[in-house]
Amino acid sequence: MNAPEKAPAAYAWPEEGYTRVPYWVFNDPEIYAREQTSIFRGKAWHYLGLEAEIPEAGNYKTTFVGELPVIVTRAEDGSVHAMLNRCAHRGNMVCREAFGKAKELYCVYHAWIYNLKGDLTAAAFRKGLKGVGGLPPDFQLAEHGLKTLRVAVFHGVVFGTFSKEVAPFEEWVGAVGEGMRRVLKGPLKVLGYDTQRIRANWKSYHENPRDAYHANILHTFYGTFGLSRQSQESRMVLDDAGRHVYFYTKAGTEQSSSDYKDTTSTLRSHNDAYTLEDRSLLKRVDEFGDGVSIQILTLYPGFVMHQISNSLATRQLIPRGPHEADLVWTYFGYADDSEEMTRMRLAQANLAGSAGIVSVEDAAVCEMIDRAIGDAQEGESFIEMGGKTLTSGGDTKLSERALRNFWNVYRQDMGL
Amino acid sequence: MTVLIRETDYRAVENLIYEWARAIDENRVEDVAALLTGDGEYKVASRFNTDRNLPLAVIHCTSPAQLRDRIKSMRVANVYEPHHYRHMISGVQIIGEENGVLEVRSNYTVIRIMDHDGSSMIFSTGQCRDQVVVDGAGPRFKQRHIIYDSRAIETLLVIPL
Repeated sequence: MNAPEKAPAAYAWPEEGYTRVPYWVFNDPEIYAREQTSIFRGKAWHYLGLEAEIPEAGNYKTTFVGELPVIVTRAEDGSVHAMLNRCAHRGNMVCREAFGKAKELYCVYHAWIYNLKGDLTAAAFRKGLKGVGGLPPDFQLAEHGLKTLRVAVFHGVVFGTFSKEVAPFEEWVGAVGEGMRRVLKGPLKVLGYDTQRIRANWKSYHENPRDAYHANILHTFYGTFGLSRQSQESRMVLDDAGRHVYFYTKAGTEQSSSDYKDTTSTLRSHNDAYTLEDRSLLKRVDEFGDGVSIQILTLYPGFVMHQISNSLATRQLIPRGPHEADLVWTYFGYADDSEEMTRMRLAQANLAGSAGIVSVEDAAVCEMIDRAIGDAQEGESFIEMGGKTLTSGGDTKLSERALRNFWNVYRQDMGL
Repeated sequence: MTVLIRETDYRAVENLIYEWARAIDENRVEDVAALLTGDGEYKVASRFNTDRNLPLAVIHCTSPAQLRDRIKSMRVANVYEPHHYRHMISGVQIIGEENGVLEVRSNYTVIRIMDHDGSSMIFSTGQCRDQVVVDGAGPRFKQRHIIYDSRAIETLLVIPL
């Protein structure tokens, strides 16, 4: 009988480096806790919302950065602020609504009151009553405001960070900012929300939209109806640090080749039996004038913005433990959209999201991975499509280059 | 407001709602499209959006053909772990009538059962806001709006509610 295997050295990454990912990173509670510190409260910017969600002074919304609840406000002077949604006194949640309007932020527990920038302006019975009780004489309101985040508003999209060190947003987002500017061409209008609760580690989902290799293989709709095929003109763009990526495809730019035909004949996703009775869902307008039918853009560590035909949405990934994450989809159009354009965007909302005809597969795959890795004490994924380095694969979509770059950045941030 | 509705209408409306649920639960999902009128609409939207007058629906079929397309997608294109539903229907009420179209409300609970590991959970609850036509061709939905209560959908919604 063989001797029992020795326990592997704690958190030893496979020697191949970022082309391998040990499955314990998707499973381990200590790793998850360290991610909260090193990534979600570390040197990264996080999506908080759209300016259009807080159009007027006093408007606020609540959201999360990692596990921490955050309030995003518009102050009287029009500036956008973000702070921890936790009273500086005893930790009660200050705002309970998803959205609201207020002159001040009022903690119900002991009536500690903050202004829209998070400064403490009053604490009930601060001076006591008739000379008895109250806070100590050295208590300073200015020292007990809500913990604030740095905020960046980028073409109508609000990002925040707890980090004082991370580079300014525009610099941090680098070349991928171009893909955002392309879509964020004017004042936005929110069309609605869709929250998808995925029983898998947040990183499984984060990998998914970075992975252009799967898009036309897993998702039958894309290939069958020609919205996105590997044979079409497409490109992948990363920032210099490899944190962020977007890729796009131009429908109707097929370049036939014998190896493409040979491969697609074996793909489950190329399905001649799949036809539509009503093809109105396939109608689209080239509203950006560049022929791009799909653009999927991912920022480290938890933000996606998609353009699928004329469906536009942000996706915010909120971790809720090692095995659960919420994906909050915010669908939008532009403030000056015609009624017909809004109808088209709403019709195309059928394509993606929790009930998306194109892409319900993604959440299913994340959950199947979660179960397939089991106790995760052995095993690793293999990420060599397009090559073994951070640059190999170039700008082709048939590559896992953006995944190698993600794990490279992740390991640096996590000290793994 | 008291609305006087014939008992036979109640029977027809309840039966229609049960037919829809049973077709889905018995994995005859294709059959539901025939329960819509030719210009019938099927929409699934969250209470969260509805309460805020936000128009987004996660499913919006403006014709029976679009609903059939979606169901075909479920059968041949989409990938998901095998599961089925059990509908519980309650509180069927006809709350109004206009030009022969009955305005109907009912509550639903859908329990989702995963074939593989046997786990079952309350997958969705909500209110059906229906417009029902009862004529010679039998009762059908002119409008079936399902407003689900939780803003979050567990994993994915591929089988219609």
